[in-house]
Amino acid sequence: MLNQAFFVTWLAASVGLAGPVLLAAQGEIFAERAGVLNIGLEGTILLGALGSYLAAVATGSTPLGFVAGGVTGLAVGAVLALFYVGAQASQVVVGIVFNILAAGVASYVYDLAAGTSAPTIGLLRPVHLPVLSALPVLGPVLFRHPLPLYLTLLIVVLAQVVLFRTRFGLALIAVGEHPRAAHAAGISVARMRVIGVLLSGLGGGLAGAYLVTAQIGLYRDNIVSGEGFIALAIVIFGRWSPLRSLLAALVFGGADALQLSLQLFNDRVPAQVLLCLPYILTILAVSGLLGGRAQPAALMLPYRKE
Amino acid sequence: MLLAALAAFAVAGLLFIPYGTDPLSAYAFLFAEAFGSLRGFGFTLVQATPLILIAQGTVLAWRAGLGYVGFEGCFVLGAAAAAWLALGGTPDGFPYALPPALFFPAVLALSFAAGAVWAGMIGVLRVRFRGNEVLTSLMANYVAAFIVQYLVSGPMRQPGSLPQTPRLPRDTWLPYLIPEARTHAGILIALVASGLVAVLLRATPTGYEIIASGINARAARYGGIPVARRQMLAILLAGGLAALAGLGAVLGVQHRLMDGLAGGAGFVGIVVALLARLDPLAVVPAAILYGGLEVGGAAMQRDTGVPSAVVFILESLVVLFILGSGLLRGWRLPLPWSGRWRATSRKAAE
Amino acid sequence: MSAVPLAALRGIVKRFGPVLANDHVSLDVRPGEVHAILGENGAGKSTAMQILYGLYRPDAGEIHWNGAPVAIADPADAIALGIGMVHQEFLLVPPMTVTENVVLGLREGRGPMLDRSGAAARLAAIAARHGLAVDPSARIAYLPIGVQQRVEILKLLYRDARLLILDEPTAVLTPQEKDALFATLRSLRAEGRSVVLVTHKLHEIMAIADRVTVMRGGRVIDTLDVAGTSERDLARRMVGREVVLRVARTPARPGAAALRVEALTARDAAGRATLRGIDLMLHAGEILGIAGVEGNGQSELAEALLGLLPVTGGRILLGREDITRRPVAARRARGMGFIPADRRGTGSITALSVAANAVLGEQRRHTRAGGMLLDRGAIVATAREIVAHFGVRTPNVALPAGKLSGGNLQKLVLGREVRRASRVLVVEQPTRGLDIGAVEAVWQALLAERDAGRAILMISAELDEIMNLADRIAVLFEGRLSTPLPADAVTREQLGLMMAGRDPAAHGRAA
Repeated sequence: MLNQAFFVTWLAASVGLAGPVLLAAQGEIFAERAGVLNIGLEGTILLGALGSYLAAVATGSTPLGFVAGGVTGLAVGAVLALFYVGAQASQVVVGIVFNILAAGVASYVYDLAAGTSAPTIGLLRPVHLPVLSALPVLGPVLFRHPLPLYLTLLIVVLAQVVLFRTRFGLALIAVGEHPRAAHAAGISVARMRVIGVLLSGLGGGLAGAYLVTAQIGLYRDNIVSGEGFIALAIVIFGRWSPLRSLLAALVFGGADALQLSLQLFNDRVPAQVLLCLPYILTILAVSGLLGGRAQPAALMLPYRKE
Repeated sequence: MLLAALAAFAVAGLLFIPYGTDPLSAYAFLFAEAFGSLRGFGFTLVQATPLILIAQGTVLAWRAGLGYVGFEGCFVLGAAAAAWLALGGTPDGFPYALPPALFFPAVLALSFAAGAVWAGMIGVLRVRFRGNEVLTSLMANYVAAFIVQYLVSGPMRQPGSLPQTPRLPRDTWLPYLIPEARTHAGILIALVASGLVAVLLRATPTGYEIIASGINARAARYGGIPVARRQMLAILLAGGLAALAGLGAVLGVQHRLMDGLAGGAGFVGIVVALLARLDPLAVVPAAILYGGLEVGGAAMQRDTGVPSAVVFILESLVVLFILGSGLLRGWRLPLPWSGRWRATSRKAAE
Repeated sequence: MSAVPLAALRGIVKRFGPVLANDHVSLDVRPGEVHAILGENGAGKSTAMQILYGLYRPDAGEIHWNGAPVAIADPADAIALGIGMVHQEFLLVPPMTVTENVVLGLREGRGPMLDRSGAAARLAAIAARHGLAVDPSARIAYLPIGVQQRVEILKLLYRDARLLILDEPTAVLTPQEKDALFATLRSLRAEGRSVVLVTHKLHEIMAIADRVTVMRGGRVIDTLDVAGTSERDLARRMVGREVVLRVARTPARPGAAALRVEALTARDAAGRATLRGIDLMLHAGEILGIAGVEGNGQSELAEALLGLLPVTGGRILLGREDITRRPVAARRARGMGFIPADRRGTGSITALSVAANAVLGEQRRHTRAGGMLLDRGAIVATAREIVAHFGVRTPNVALPAGKLSGGNLQKLVLGREVRRASRVLVVEQPTRGLDIGAVEAVWQALLAERDAGRAILMISAELDEIMNLADRIAVLFEGRLSTPLPADAVTREQLGLMMAGRDPAAHGRAA
């Protein structure tokens, strides 16, 4: 059982399962680095999934559906920014209430738009990258996935560069660490935070689109079951860094894939033990029990000019 | 605040129109279903019971300055503990002879303790290690859900059936108060708990210390208040109350343990507490209102096909609109994490 | 006055609620001058400068730059003009490096990328030119406070600021660091830059400034050439009266030892020593004044005495009992009280009522039903008693304490603490930010408590306060306490020297 074929299959499945939450985590990293914890990410992913599905059905084009998910996410991000930044409301409250609202809105709109007829859409097929997909081990693990995964990996690299190598990234991090210092340096705290929330919305919307267009092919009310919270966990476990969040996503995806395969062979190790482990590690990480704590100092705290 | 609520009702009312129902008669129908008959009101109370308990838990934890949001986890573990005692631990049960007079006190204590310990772990991480309790409690919800999933698909599973436990013995069920609506005695637990929370927070020195710790931990410490201990007390009680909501769901409604039992009540309960402005006495009417909306919404879906999701939209819009209008008027709640960002360095003089 | 001023405020008005912080403030800063702004706490100096820097918006008035009116709505606007500010509280991002903090918010170079090494090189060159030694790759969190200030100044120079505003820059500096700062300021002036120095220290103005604008009660009193004035003249203009406030007091009649501190040491979160072996003896019926510039262990001493700060060594004895390891509640129960400097953040819970604040720390003494329930009647009675006895002006005791003015809130805190503190009262900066009337009321109350036999330890940065109230005086400097001297045996000048760490006898070190 523990031969190479199993290992490769497991790794490939891990990468596949990690994709959507990793994508959502990239946007969330920017929001949290700017000081906004978007607990509403779960609802954002849900609405992105719905937007993407409806657009794909309406246009008959799955790629267009994927793009529509991102657009939906941006719109959702704008609404959230209004509350998080514009209204400076408690971020916990806004996020939790928004998730309930999003569940209601998604269910209502789906009922209204699709009713009882709910066609499946054509899934985005895995694309075997030339040359790369023929590599032993790495090929099947990394290079035989649908396009959104490659996009996600590209975004991870891009996010890492933007966050740590650009002036914008420096300003964003400063806003999340010491907003008054950033403000005194001429940076608009509100603008940076709005951008962060918009990116979180965009990432969440695309993650929802990813689920629909590349993994499931249809929409249900419970299509998003915790992906948003897993993405939050990945951000923490990845210590607010895009590259480390990639590893964190693989830990979550890996545990998930492993329990799926183990269920086939073995029922002595309960699947739930594997499933909970990443969450427990996340809890310990955020409590500073696994090395230091890297949480942005002003995370969740509103900032007012005067 | 009233205006904001009316605005939310107005906006949500528009959602009835595409289904060919005019908003006013839709609301009339909805409220008639929820409050127009003893039976309807009985259903409403069943829905309100977990909301009251979780909202009181929210009031306690949040007033103590802890943004605890792990009530889903406490709920399912409280339910699991109650089911375990009721079943005697295994699907076959063990031949225990716990007389009814002892069973109910014991099951209340065990369930409460399960939730208290669960929330207490998050509390320790916060007060001892300064772990962000919002994040840890969100994550802990999943761990709790997996524990219950494991129990109902493994050791407590009814052989050869869905992943759920066998039906609980009849004499472990909570007695019905309004049999036609299957209104169980959980509502009494919720009301007693509400009274106790109100007295604790408003009339006791311990409550004063909890509130002081929540608003300004620094000043509380200066006043000699053991802030960490008061916050721990609040979170233990909060987790216990949320667990009793799970007890009610198992012993009062489902009569068995299954996966996904909380169904979002852990979050809607928080919304109820917000609507009640974290006032333990206002929680009861707010929860009954929201319970009624859910009963009315379900009835409307049955009768007219309007999706009951409208109710969720309405419930969340009310709070969002109040938040929105509150900021215009500077209305502020002592919410955890609503304080402004402050530099940790030396403060400038007044 | 032929030259066009570099920057000018014209009729600036700013209100904070009922408080008129700036009342038609006008002043000019010329190119290449060091311009001091002098005033007591609350005179409106910082507010005016924060308006010039765009942190606050004025309710009325204009700002001119090189003779033309400009709109400064945000620090970004001020920076673009060439204005920079070093705030009292440093605005540096702790986990970032010196270079990152310096380039933060700057648009330099083409493209969006950061050029860390290029910036570090430019920074090193500027630092060398002005004698501001600092490692560009060091993280702020690990730098001492004096070096952090250098980073703040470098930040401005890196932006080629023409006007540098320094808000109370010497409050946190050692004498050596202060000399270095002044040398830097002189080199900036020599380059033709202008410096605004916000301060209330007369000798600094005489030492470095070219002109001085005196502010009082939100208004500009005068702008003078430093060469044509004197410390005495400036002091008179600053306080608006020749004779400072005095209270009538009788000689103390010290009783038994109430509080004894032996070799007390403490460290801050970063592990730096804040208290380096404090010894003191406090008697019933006396006021021991602890003078000194803030940041030399003042708050740490007060918090260690009450039990808010864990100590790393030494003993605290209340009467004969060792309370070094006892919690706050136990110390309060044994008759200690504490009036903290931060009355809104520490001394009170501003969202709760006056009545609730009147029993903070004593909530368990206002109960009925065997301690189970709060006794509302008793709480209100206590609150009313304090309000009446100490003249707290409030419509009722249900008012949120945050709505009280600073003076009335302080009287409430004071009333609560003296009511409980049967033995020892620790008082930190008791009249900071209060108006004259409130200062007098607080002083009278403290003297009355002394005469009633309480032992009072008063920590204050205001020499007037120390000279007026204390029976014995010691100076806290860099975590060490000088030997207390009888108040009539020391002069202001001596204290001033000791506060600057220049008394070899008291500190065992050469200046």
